Amino acid sequence: MTMTTAIEVRGLRKDFPVREKGILGPRTLKRAVDGLDLDIPRGRVTGLLGLNGAGKTTTIKILATLLRPSAGTVRIDGLDAVADARAVRRRINLIAGGERMVYTRMTGRENLWYFGQLYDVPKADLRRRTGELLDLVGLSGAADTMVERYSRGMTQRLAIARGLVNRPDYLLLDEPTLGLDAPIARDLRRVVADLAAHDGTGVLLTSHYLAEVEELCGHVYVISAGRHLAQGSPAELKAATGSHRTVRLTVTDPTERTRAAADAFGATRETLPDGGELITLRHPGDMAGPLTAAVFEAGGSIGGLEIAEASLEDAILTLAERGEAGLAGPGSGRPDATTIRPGAATAPPEAATAPPEAATVPPGAGTAPSEAAAAGVKGGTP
Amino acid sequence: MPIAWATAWRTWQMTRRAYPWTYAVGTVLPAALTIALAHLGFHVIGGGAVGDDFAAGSGTTAYLAYIVVGTTAFHFAVRLILWSAKALITEQRQGTLGALLIAPAGRLPYLLGFTGFAVLSSVLEFLTLGLVVAALGITVPVSSVPGALLGALALIAAVFALSVGLGGLMIAAGEAHISQNTVFIMLGLVGGFTFPRDYLPEPVRWFAELLPTTSAMDVLHGSFTGGQSLPELLPRLAVCAALTCAHLFLGLTCLPRAEARAVERTY
Repeated sequence: MTMTTAIEVRGLRKDFPVREKGILGPRTLKRAVDGLDLDIPRGRVTGLLGLNGAGKTTTIKILATLLRPSAGTVRIDGLDAVADARAVRRRINLIAGGERMVYTRMTGRENLWYFGQLYDVPKADLRRRTGELLDLVGLSGAADTMVERYSRGMTQRLAIARGLVNRPDYLLLDEPTLGLDAPIARDLRRVVADLAAHDGTGVLLTSHYLAEVEELCGHVYVISAGRHLAQGSPAELKAATGSHRTVRLTVTDPTERTRAAADAFGATRETLPDGGELITLRHPGDMAGPLTAAVFEAGGSIGGLEIAEASLEDAILTLAERGEAGLAGPGSGRPDATTIRPGAATAPPEAATAPPEAATVPPGAGTAPSEAAAAGVKGGTP
Repeated sequence: MPIAWATAWRTWQMTRRAYPWTYAVGTVLPAALTIALAHLGFHVIGGGAVGDDFAAGSGTTAYLAYIVVGTTAFHFAVRLILWSAKALITEQRQGTLGALLIAPAGRLPYLLGFTGFAVLSSVLEFLTLGLVVAALGITVPVSSVPGALLGALALIAAVFALSVGLGGLMIAAGEAHISQNTVFIMLGLVGGFTFPRDYLPEPVRWFAELLPTTSAMDVLHGSFTGGQSLPELLPRLAVCAALTCAHLFLGLTCLPRAEARAVERTY
């Protein structure tokens, strides 16, 4: 066995027994996680994304030793998460946005003191660390107030402090900013980034706020129905899924020539109430310049230009749709997983300045072999 | 034992804040009423005398003293079970079970801390029963003070051992009322608290022997109203110790599975 400083997940599977009808009905197994492989190194924030029911929380609970896997292995710094659970628990902690995880009839300070005892934090360290953590989450002023008098956001902030009380080597974050005010959520993101960058903490993050994932995560795994769909940096995922920038160009005096210019790029056109026309083009490259120039050269007057960057949300939705299609397809027991090679996000310059013919690839055609190859998409399991 | 101490302190603080001191009245009242009703029945119906079968089974004719010891012990056991066995399901209900389970702390010191708090608070509550007993003019003889102390410790340990397994059952099933009340009824019926087990059918008596509380009660009754000395009590103490260890081992072995089941049930 080789000693590694990372969380290594191999072939992870989790089946839950469920009864369809009452407590005496036949018991069936529901597969929540199906053959996942993950690598979560120290010093990096790794994202785990998917739609509801994708298996994210189940995966995190297995990594936190709360659930036992049905098959596969989870190793944390070489320690088995099942056989060496107690040693693993000293190295990890979990912050779950949807769960309270603190005692309401204790003060914030008392909560941190008690959890410090459970993690065997030395007395002198605990006193200092409690103060630092309360300060970090902005609860110093309410440290001696009972938690039942806290707002939901304050309780969540205390739960975050609880998750850091043992200075974990690996921090598992399941929707950590759920219900937090924007400034506190921003501060938490800063803390998480600092933990990874300066303390070398390995962080696994699930969040429905994809901007948060995009800001923090160096690497993202996308899963659907418990299965691996894709992985890569947020930029790589966006590029590989054909998640396009959207250019919206308003032409105040549209003519046949301007329409032809727009059509040559494969853009859609929409007549506006004032007689103008809205030209919309979605493309992975930066096509705002060429499109504007073409319309302008065709004699059109530009009334407005709006460029919307490709979003990670689009990429996830595309991947999830592909995953569902793969699951629904005949004989497709497992959807093709996608690994995006490092560097794929910096798509070839020629793609960005592609000729108008290239732009006629319809949005969502990311599964086309030629485009997949151009974006560095590799079929098969990671 | 920092975890046990921290848990006892934490539970003390939380309970103090959650319940007014008058809550203890509700705890002691059922035991006081049981003793008062036994007093009434003994004098009004029984004419102040016990039958030969009771004397033969219990080893005493001091019926009311027997009832005082048995009732106090039974309600004390119920209180301990309500605290110790329900510790984990209470964590589950208040949303803190996950935070507890992912911590590296062992479950045994945690449960010991809970029980330590429960013993302290229950002893304080049940000391007030002495006032009721004194008001009714009941005297409780003690034949062996060391035996009585060891019997009390044996009862606490026996109830703790039963509570560990019961606590696991509660979180696995996600249910407390049916399981706890089943245990209370079972203990009250077969445990030899308030009447001699000779009244029970033979198979039930053997079943009762599997519970560590039964031998603990034999020690308690023997050292108060049974007129037994410490050496005479030691064999039953040994049985109690062995059964306590067996139940504790079984409970602690099954607890991780029960905890996993509890998490799976709410996935």
